[in-house]
Amino acid sequence: MASTHDTAPHAETLAHAHPAFLHHHYDTPEQQFDSAKLGMWVFIVTEILMFGGLFVAYGIYRGQETHIFHLAHEHLNKVMGAVNTVVLLFSSLTAALAVRESQLGRRNRTTVYLVTTILCALVFLVVKYFEYAHKFHDGLLPGRYFTAHLHAAHGHEALPYRAHMFFALYFMMTGLHGLHVIVGMCVLVWVLKVNLAGKLSPEFFTPVEIGALYWHLVDLVWIYLFPLLYLVG
Amino acid sequence: MSHGSTHASDGHGAHDDGRVHAHISPFGFLVAIFAALIVLTLVTVKASYYDFGSANAVIAVFIATVKAALVALFFMHLKSDKPFHGFIFVMAFVFLGVFMLFCMEDLGTRGRLDDSAGVQIQPRSGDVAPGGLVTPGGPEGHGAAASAEHGAPAAH
Repeated sequence: MASTHDTAPHAETLAHAHPAFLHHHYDTPEQQFDSAKLGMWVFIVTEILMFGGLFVAYGIYRGQETHIFHLAHEHLNKVMGAVNTVVLLFSSLTAALAVRESQLGRRNRTTVYLVTTILCALVFLVVKYFEYAHKFHDGLLPGRYFTAHLHAAHGHEALPYRAHMFFALYFMMTGLHGLHVIVGMCVLVWVLKVNLAGKLSPEFFTPVEIGALYWHLVDLVWIYLFPLLYLVG
Repeated sequence: MSHGSTHASDGHGAHDDGRVHAHISPFGFLVAIFAALIVLTLVTVKASYYDFGSANAVIAVFIATVKAALVALFFMHLKSDKPFHGFIFVMAFVFLGVFMLFCMEDLGTRGRLDDSAGVQIQPRSGDVAPGGLVTPGGPEGHGAAASAEHGAPAAH
């Protein structure tokens, strides 16, 4: 069958010859690109709704137990949260710049920006590790693992037992977000591999574009998590 | 911002050649957006040191939404993208709003927790709901008001 393609008359009716990156079920690169983006945006919606459940739980809990919520949120480290916010915002910038360089066909610069983005993700996770370690140490844990009502710590009074709910939300929200950071890193490593293999061009930069969209989503979620958990009590 | 179905509306001129014609953001522009995001982060951190009462959360969510809009419009290219992608994205928040609204509405009919007594109050009668709130780990904790009913521990 494949050999007939060269002589098939309908090949002339296509605006362009089929480039290597174009899957056979698409007519044009533009159609393939738009399909990929549409799919990604729909996926982003499902992600927002998944996090949305946690944000609704947050709203309900904070509305019902505003005082306990306030006491509990003071155990979070504002500085570490702010540092991680800056790290993620910067990584979003480098992800956007990676897309730009890929669009311009500058492979080496794309590589530099992708690596920077991945390194930022690592920094974020390291800071998160120190935050989590501190919470574990102080018994600021969800449900029956919560022990911070038994003793005062770090100049804070002992928390009421019901504050465990705050930390359930904290760990679920930042944990699910952290999972997305890890997945995002894997996606970006894959994009980096495709880029290094020289498969990208100004005509085909879809992997960078889609990978960056995912990474911006990770940033987007944190943009809400940081003020809601660390700043407002 | 015409809602034309072709890329012609994006200011690239008419393209029917089937090639990808995505907008390329200038370097300085992307850095400027990043700078704006950092400034807004500083503003929201600074604002958290002042007490605006119940407006605290509103202010924080407002600033976060401005930041999210900057990321979505310019880093995620929604500004120069097909309007339909933006529509899909915004609908996610619309339905999230519906989700939250109905949950909040429902909660208005539920009992509330009485902090001082450590019990739950029925919404209509104002009576104490059965069961109460049990504090595991002994009576040292603050929530130990519920320990009056410690005849039945480990209710979990």
